[in-house]
Amino acid sequence: MTRGAILQIYLPIAELPINVFMIFAMGGTVGFLSGLFGIGGGFLLTPLLIFSGIPPAVSVATVTTQIVASSASGVLSYWRKAGIDFKLAGVLLCSGIVGSAVGVWLFGILRSLGQLDLVISLAYVTFLGTIGVLMLGESMKAIMRRKSGEAPVGRKPGQHNWVHGLPFKIRFRRSRLYVSVIPIFGIGSSIGFLGSVLGIGGGFMMVPALIYLLRVPANIVIGTSLLQILGTMAVATFLHAINTQSVDIVLALTLMIGGVIGAQFGAQVGQSMRGEHLRLGLGLLVLLVGLRFAFNLIVEPEDLYSVSVIEGAVK
Amino acid sequence: MRLTLHSFTTLLMFLLLALISGAPALAETLVSAVSSSNVAITSNFTGTQILVYGEIARDAKTVSRTGKQDVVVVVEGPLERVTTWRKDHIFGLWINATSQTYISVPSFYAVHATDDLRNIASEDWLKQYRIGLENLPLAALGARSPATERNAFKAAFLRSRVQHGLYSQISRSLNFLSLTLFSTTVDLPATIPTGEYKVTTFLFSGGVLLDQQEQVLTVAKTGFEQVTFNLSRQYPAAYGALAVILALFTGWLAGVIFKKD
Repeated sequence: MTRGAILQIYLPIAELPINVFMIFAMGGTVGFLSGLFGIGGGFLLTPLLIFSGIPPAVSVATVTTQIVASSASGVLSYWRKAGIDFKLAGVLLCSGIVGSAVGVWLFGILRSLGQLDLVISLAYVTFLGTIGVLMLGESMKAIMRRKSGEAPVGRKPGQHNWVHGLPFKIRFRRSRLYVSVIPIFGIGSSIGFLGSVLGIGGGFMMVPALIYLLRVPANIVIGTSLLQILGTMAVATFLHAINTQSVDIVLALTLMIGGVIGAQFGAQVGQSMRGEHLRLGLGLLVLLVGLRFAFNLIVEPEDLYSVSVIEGAVK
Repeated sequence: MRLTLHSFTTLLMFLLLALISGAPALAETLVSAVSSSNVAITSNFTGTQILVYGEIARDAKTVSRTGKQDVVVVVEGPLERVTTWRKDHIFGLWINATSQTYISVPSFYAVHATDDLRNIASEDWLKQYRIGLENLPLAALGARSPATERNAFKAAFLRSRVQHGLYSQISRSLNFLSLTLFSTTVDLPATIPTGEYKVTTFLFSGGVLLDQQEQVLTVAKTGFEQVTFNLSRQYPAAYGALAVILALFTGWLAGVIFKKD
């Protein structure tokens, strides 16, 4: 047996051997960044797994499981600090489940059509590109403002936007909100949908949406968003296990262990950094991942042909 | 090197057996065996090798042939349905656009021979017995496409399979240890699919097939890998629930261990 063989572990669902330390390091690095920026890190982990040769279907499904673990420890600490609006998280979760059920269903169809890779790539380019640019712009402005000594534009009490004019209003006591369920359903279901198709938790989209669209208070927003992600991803894991059967439990566990350790160090470093610098870094990171996918779509591939085995052998 | 020792002992036993048994034969016949009839995929599986060996049996009554004798060993994995996609440049993006599907191609295929295949037998023989990558029956499903297109897809499919180590064709890899004893080792890469494999040994003489022998090789996940895989296929709901519980537990544990006071 060679030395390399000791570091290798055979993944029972992906059906290939992989270097344990590479996966552990990936989980750790992404965990560090997720602790640093306060995000789930799924949008980094899924592409990393895909680029390292794990089938996209297995990568996406398995990362949903890893997100359950990473958000669970976050939920626990926000729960202790009473930083969760359970009612809001519940409504978001119900809509998230609808979204992720549609997502998993579509995932199966796209996989059988051979277009799963394309949709994943296009979606990454679109979403990460847009959000990356928005984040960069916002954080640059904040840094400029601080340099020129201008006072930041904060939220004025009682300030309303168009969202607050919609019907079917519900009261959320913990968040001190009285808003329509329509935007909540919209946010929850679209993030649930993206989560199950792209293997991302969507925290980096959920948090801004809750702050800017619904005006959820800052001390409640992260805990609530984490709980919603935990619920949605747990359901997505379950649906993937039933529908696409591509959740690799060995891969998930390796990622989780690396991830939760990395996150602790990331969170410590993150506390000593300025908010706008963190957002600038995160914006750059998001944009880079998006560009990496764009590169694959735009540059002519070395081999135009690819071979895929259709599930279920003949005979 | 457990394998070589193991194969050496089996070879010795085989040699003895061959000496004892002296059944009359009219023409050369073939006796062959595989070093192991089971390949177990465990958590540290990184591929393995199997030894295929045998003897060309003949006795005094056998008419001695002037033509050279050739042995071909074919290892074929379970059949599967495969789609080959080609990316085309559409709206400035490289997108999977054209595809061809083969309904039953071997998931693994290795040919080892004593000589170049074209020196061993005619193309008709090779095609009939599916010997050689070029002679695998690859008929695309459905839509009729021009021959150039079909050939391009076929070449791309074979190239991809060879690159992944799933298909191989090695001439002159089969060695004669004596005038009648032969052996070869076939590499099974880490990514081999599970299932029943067919190991077929052919004996050709002067371009004519004299005899063929078939053995079965089972490649299966064992232990933890098998349990996990079966659970995910047979009880997907339980498997999904298990994955979620495991994730929740890991997250909770991390929260407890790293709790800031």
